[in-house]
Amino acid sequence: MASILDFFAVIGEGFMLKALATALVIGVLGGIIGVFVLLKGMVFLGEAIAHSAFAGAALGILLGINPLITIIVFGLFAALGVGFVNEKKVMKDEVIIGIVFTSFMALAILFIGLMPFYSTNITSILFGNIFSVSNENLIVLVFLAASVLLVIFGLKKELYFMTFNLEMATIVGIPVRFINYLFLGLMAITIDISLQAVGAILVFAMIITPAAAAYQWTFKLNKMLLLASLFGVLSGVIGVFMSYIWNIPSGSTIVGVATFIFLVSFIASPKRRKSGSGHVVEDCEYCSKTIGGRQFCIEENCVAKDIPHKHDEKGLIIYSSDMHLTKIPSRHKHDEEAEE
Amino acid sequence: MGEIESSKEESKKYSTKDIIVCLKDISVVYGNMAALYDINLDVHTGDFIGICGPNGSGKTTLMKTIIGTLKPYTGQIALFGEDIKDNISKDIRHKFGYVPQTTEFDRNFPALVRDVAEMGRYAKVGVVKQLTKEDKQKAMEALRLVDMEYAAERPFGHLSGGQQQRVLIAQALAAEAEVLLLDEFTSALDFRMSEEVMELLDYLSYSHKITVVTVGHNLELLRAYCNRIICINKIIAFDGEPNDPDLDEAINKIFH
Repeated sequence: MASILDFFAVIGEGFMLKALATALVIGVLGGIIGVFVLLKGMVFLGEAIAHSAFAGAALGILLGINPLITIIVFGLFAALGVGFVNEKKVMKDEVIIGIVFTSFMALAILFIGLMPFYSTNITSILFGNIFSVSNENLIVLVFLAASVLLVIFGLKKELYFMTFNLEMATIVGIPVRFINYLFLGLMAITIDISLQAVGAILVFAMIITPAAAAYQWTFKLNKMLLLASLFGVLSGVIGVFMSYIWNIPSGSTIVGVATFIFLVSFIASPKRRKSGSGHVVEDCEYCSKTIGGRQFCIEENCVAKDIPHKHDEKGLIIYSSDMHLTKIPSRHKHDEEAEE
Repeated sequence: MGEIESSKEESKKYSTKDIIVCLKDISVVYGNMAALYDINLDVHTGDFIGICGPNGSGKTTLMKTIIGTLKPYTGQIALFGEDIKDNISKDIRHKFGYVPQTTEFDRNFPALVRDVAEMGRYAKVGVVKQLTKEDKQKAMEALRLVDMEYAAERPFGHLSGGQQQRVLIAQALAAEAEVLLLDEFTSALDFRMSEEVMELLDYLSYSHKITVVTVGHNLELLRAYCNRIICINKIIAFDGEPNDPDLDEAINKIFH
């Protein structure tokens, strides 16, 4: 076991710098893509892409070409293919994804079986090793990550609108179809380039876990993007550190830290604290004072004070038996005004 | 008050200029089943239309046809006097504001009320560009108009169904929509809240000359607020004023 001092001794060396740079890039990229994946509800599709990437890697090794090329081809094929089938609404998307997911896994096993000898590269693709990222791969990684981030930030508000309500976004004339395919492509590229660090099995954790942790903390998109990338970078860097100190696989430490951050966020989430009591007290629309589930209002200014009612998350509730006895004053009295 | 009266009289006299939506001989077909058959319909400026009919009668289909997300099998559509063939031009598209049903919305979705109203500006601003201060101001003005300014900094998911509906209306207003199309907004709301939303729509149509087309099950409610009721059951069974005696007959016909 290396000590903490050893870590700082090697921090300036090439392999450690490369590992930290990879962790930084993947952390930021995964966190930001993850926010939209989470909000769009495409979590399972990401899992399928990761497994298709494994099949791609196996093919690349079998043919003796750079696996990154076949990984990206397979990833894009899976993402756009599932997107296309989903658009036609043939079946529920989870069914389609389930079939794609397992068939790619079958392909991967086939390719591995065809290899004349068992390659250690397969293990590194499956479980990843952040210390083995080559110089050229790091350059490709940085280049791809920069272009993905650029496109994401260019389309940020459109993506946001689409996650909020797809139907409304379509009707106001946002090119929903194009952006959807583009996003699927970007998601595939992100998963594929993150593969080397944490491996095909765990790669999706880099996308979903930091975003899910960030989701616990805020109601603002920008803050969520910032937090998700921060959590991503933190898990990457701390994971590299732990992996080096205890000499354990980097994939497990990185995802372990990410999961820990998520657990802490989940438990400490202000969102959960608020709704933890099971009853959310809202301001009364009329008197702007909060009253927790009382049947009769004690507020002086509440217009409904004589009528049995309560204030809860739905606002003002008037009991139906009394609804027709007393009319609540209307705030838009233009009809009466017009008559005067 | 004189001004208001004269404008009311004006809206009664239709000219061809006032026709916003003109559907001519529209039929919409799903598979081999007609969802709408031979629909002829004009929507005029200032109309407050309530569309009612039983389930599966084509209410939502009609709405989607107007807005261009469904292509009719036969017939012609003209929006603001312009014939629509393939694509609705950007200018005309932005004159329509669509408010969907508020179904169960994720309580923790990261969107503040202000953000939701600002989404109305997104399509106008265009891809890549950021919202300007003016855009944000317009969104706030729209929130003020629907009485939701006080909640601007609250999470959208924490609002009640009626409040969410108001914010979505504000979103359409922020986009400077002249026509509001609301799809069955009453189905998720209780009577009191639907009434409130209707009152808001009434106010908007009156003070801002916004044309409203709503779809709803609750005929009582539509009768109380709309100035024109359309009953459909694949065909138009009734089209006229809410106090027309023929309306009851048409209702009996299409619901039984």
